[in-house]
Amino acid sequence: MELFLMTLITGILVGGIYALVALGWVLIYKCSGVLNLAMGELTLIGAYVALTFYQMGFPFILAVAGTLVVGVALGFLTERIFLDRLIGEPLLAVIMVTVGLSFFFKGMVTFIYDTDTRVFDPPIFAIKPIELGFLKVSPVYLWSFILAIVLLLVFVWFFKYTRWGLSMQATADDETAALSLGVSARFVYAAAWAIAFMSAGVGGALLGNINGINISVGYLGLLVLPAVVLGGLNSVPGAIVGGVIIGVLQNLSGTYLDHYFPGGVKEIVPFAFMAVFLLFKPYGLWGWERIERV
Amino acid sequence: MSSVWLPCGDYHQDYAEDQGWWQTTFIKAKMILLLAIIFIGMPVLLPGYYLSVATMVGYTAMGALGVQLLIGFAGLITLGHAAFIAVGAYTSTLLVLQFPWPSFIADWGLAYPISIVVAGIAAGLWSVLFGLPSAKVKGFYLILTTMAAQFITVDFILTQYVSQIGGRGQAFSLPPGIIKIGPWAIDSDRKVYYLMAVLLTLMVIVFANLLRSKPGRAWVAIRDNDIAAEALGINIIRYKLLAFFVAGFFAGIAGAFWVSNTAALSPEHFPWFWSLWLVGVILIGGVGSIHGAIFGSLFMVLVMEGLQWAVIPLAEYYPRVLMAFASIKDAAFGLAICAFLIYEPNGIAYRWWQTKNYFNLWPFSY
Amino acid sequence: MKKRFGYLLVWFLALGFLTGFCGVAVAAEIKVGGIMDTTGATSDVGKDYAIGMEEAFKWINEQGGVNGKPIKYTWFDYGYRIPEAITKYKLLKRLGVVAIMGWGTGDTEALSPTVNKDQMPYVSASYSAHLTDPKKTPYNLFFSSDYSTNARSCLTAWFDKKWPNHKDYGKRKPRLACSYMFASPYASAPIKAIKDHATMLGFEIGDDQDVSLFALDTKSQIMAFKKFEPDVVWHGNTTMSVSATMRDAFALGLKADHIINNWGIDENLPRLAGEAAEGAMGATPCAFYGQPYKNMDIVVAAAKKYSPGVPQEKRLNRTIQAWGDALILWESMKRADKAGDLTGPGIMKKGFETLRAFDIGLGAAPITFTPTDHRPATGCIVQEWKGGKFQEVENVNLKQRWPDKWEKEWLGW
Repeated sequence: MELFLMTLITGILVGGIYALVALGWVLIYKCSGVLNLAMGELTLIGAYVALTFYQMGFPFILAVAGTLVVGVALGFLTERIFLDRLIGEPLLAVIMVTVGLSFFFKGMVTFIYDTDTRVFDPPIFAIKPIELGFLKVSPVYLWSFILAIVLLLVFVWFFKYTRWGLSMQATADDETAALSLGVSARFVYAAAWAIAFMSAGVGGALLGNINGINISVGYLGLLVLPAVVLGGLNSVPGAIVGGVIIGVLQNLSGTYLDHYFPGGVKEIVPFAFMAVFLLFKPYGLWGWERIERV
Repeated sequence: MSSVWLPCGDYHQDYAEDQGWWQTTFIKAKMILLLAIIFIGMPVLLPGYYLSVATMVGYTAMGALGVQLLIGFAGLITLGHAAFIAVGAYTSTLLVLQFPWPSFIADWGLAYPISIVVAGIAAGLWSVLFGLPSAKVKGFYLILTTMAAQFITVDFILTQYVSQIGGRGQAFSLPPGIIKIGPWAIDSDRKVYYLMAVLLTLMVIVFANLLRSKPGRAWVAIRDNDIAAEALGINIIRYKLLAFFVAGFFAGIAGAFWVSNTAALSPEHFPWFWSLWLVGVILIGGVGSIHGAIFGSLFMVLVMEGLQWAVIPLAEYYPRVLMAFASIKDAAFGLAICAFLIYEPNGIAYRWWQTKNYFNLWPFSY
Repeated sequence: MKKRFGYLLVWFLALGFLTGFCGVAVAAEIKVGGIMDTTGATSDVGKDYAIGMEEAFKWINEQGGVNGKPIKYTWFDYGYRIPEAITKYKLLKRLGVVAIMGWGTGDTEALSPTVNKDQMPYVSASYSAHLTDPKKTPYNLFFSSDYSTNARSCLTAWFDKKWPNHKDYGKRKPRLACSYMFASPYASAPIKAIKDHATMLGFEIGDDQDVSLFALDTKSQIMAFKKFEPDVVWHGNTTMSVSATMRDAFALGLKADHIINNWGIDENLPRLAGEAAEGAMGATPCAFYGQPYKNMDIVVAAAKKYSPGVPQEKRLNRTIQAWGDALILWESMKRADKAGDLTGPGIMKKGFETLRAFDIGLGAAPITFTPTDHRPATGCIVQEWKGGKFQEVENVNLKQRWPDKWEKEWLGW
């Protein structure tokens, strides 16, 4: 029982980080219809940028803020250079451009930073776990979860109560109508990418804190895809719930299913689960159904 | 048979001629010359290393043909093709190494050819298994299902279970001489090249003929608008699954071929990166045509070779370049895809078609 | 716009091809090839090794190369992708190399039938015991004790020195569990040997846990270990993942000693694992960078001279391992050249297989190759990280303790 609860709690905490990254993904899709397969590499960039700031001497919170700034800049640049010209192109072209981007980013990151594992040194959080009754929770997980929730709340506030956020929602709802009301679609796309970079970047910085940063952080970012499929591609609360569910699934399967299979179950369970889930609910829990006309 | 040389003004007198792939004498002559170069000229004239580069082009093209079928002709986007190639390779290896063949088959060297066919069928069936969701989902969700196929097949089933059969567990080592077709052992670069050329030509012929038959037309209809196709009476589930099967079959043959090219087999040969590479190949070469797959393979392999050669002298001045070459290759691949998709969305095949038309219509090309 | 792109593409390709072909120089020198991993799964240890190898060959050329003939060392990174290794091998063969400095177990074992057919001496950084039987793999060699010897030595050292201090000593069997990447040929190479040794010494063996070479989070594997409560855990991976596993073990309170294969223990381990690395033991076939052994000053001087951009604190014992392989190749080529036969078989028969207790210093055991046994050393020094530095635990000599089994049973796996 204790093992189950510990795994569950760890799963929820890690799931919070996945939820943050998934939020960025859903934003891009909602606002511009682009299915972004480069999410893993955005997470990676965020992790390494945070590490660089931290090694330059900034305290961790400022390093995260720096990651946000760099994320905004990179998001704008990426959108302007690569994605602007693809508005209106077929699905495959857009997806493959994001795939190309992911390779490009991965190549650049490996070229600049090498492939060694790096840790945040001196460590930000103590290794020894906090004892809450009989549960042992690492402080890393707890603080990362709290930071992720804080950022989620900030983003939700941004969307509901600021002008920019509202114009992004409008564009996501009906682009032509929003255009006719004077909302700049290009700005909205750029802002969507900037926010995605920011959320993925912070997610990467937090994930990197847990065990060190190397190329694997990019694969963790790829897990966001099952999360958004679970929750529904269009749905922001769906993304959050999906992220948490994937985190829990991953940890539970790692602990319990490892017995029955020789190993490596943890990585593929989210994808396998997603494949099966798609057979029953193709649009996820809260996604909008596609109605096609001939 | 018409007897003009250039395509304008060719009048066919029956349906078979009209549907022919090689419609004029000129084209027939060109293609026969090409076949002569591939089968006779290149093996005789080129040294071993270039033949292995050509083999690599062929292997990429074999994989790309399957992807081209799914993406370019049936409209089903797939990012997990390397998994099916892996299934083919492992089936073939296991059959050759572990299966207790009756002695007359082993003596006559038929084990490997039979294993190629069985590998194709196995990979086709496995591909159909992961194509089943296509009956219910489309577009992005299908992409995710094929991605799931890739990870589940290669990273899990092959790595954890299949690799452990016999052997020490991770790589199947194929002793030289065990791969025989009839009396010939496939053990030198030249023989591997011949095998590649034969297999690739057969695959192209089969593929081309499939395309101008009923399944081919059904696939194109599904690609263009599947709901309308269904309204016209095409059973889209059946043809989608057939597309997965044929693509898987081609992948299986490519995998079985790969086995003769390498001395040992392990799951690392088929990472997700390779699936993405194949999709990149057909995007660069041109979606929707057989030429596209072949041009794309040629381009990608030759550019990577060129990069490699260019890096050797550069490395004396910038040693970092050599150390991080793989990341430069990744970045170059990413940029190439983005550049092609932004500036040349129709790929190299389109440019080829334009050039050909220019000369065909010359001097009336206006 | 499109036209411009087309022109640029043509020019870029042309430039690439031209500069490429300029580099194919023809010179009267001995060519040696290298296949390294500087960007792939094992690059955490591979990069230092690659740099060390380059420096070693530059120093060798300064000493006159092979009896006066310079060595041209060309190497490529293959990123631990085996198909790339095969392509690079063919490229190196085309360039006309007489020997190749290889790297990982996966590609070495994959290329083994090919190099045997081509009679190309392949000096690898893979010390897999499967490469030590000249009947199966006559052209594969390395300078260090092989992984199975390392594993057996580590377990013996722990059994001799640590187990007697345990509170349950004498009351029950000690428990061993292995943590490594199942799918990696390198990590799984010595597992059969260590389990056989454990059975021989009277251990109870638990389930293996799969830890990827790239793993960052191993908590579920540690939780599975906790059910079995091992006394000692064998780590078969490289430093990155071993440090992650040890950190998680520490965080989750797993009370076990750690014994590590030689590619998992280096100067980075305490840096990455922090306080979790205290007391970790591992196989060390050669000295750590900068330790005062014979010839270490040459290595350090060469490192400072040829790679001034790499800081001295970042150098690892992998440089020393690279020098080890380079030095035995140099010696073998010198002997083969003196005998007038600088070809593949010549380097093997008249070079390597004439080495008897050849001492390269650097804290490595003297190296012996015979035509029937390609195991260079008969045991291994086991060191541990304690109190801020590496100290020797025991110098295990397997041949001395179990001479029959060493001669008859343990060759080749």
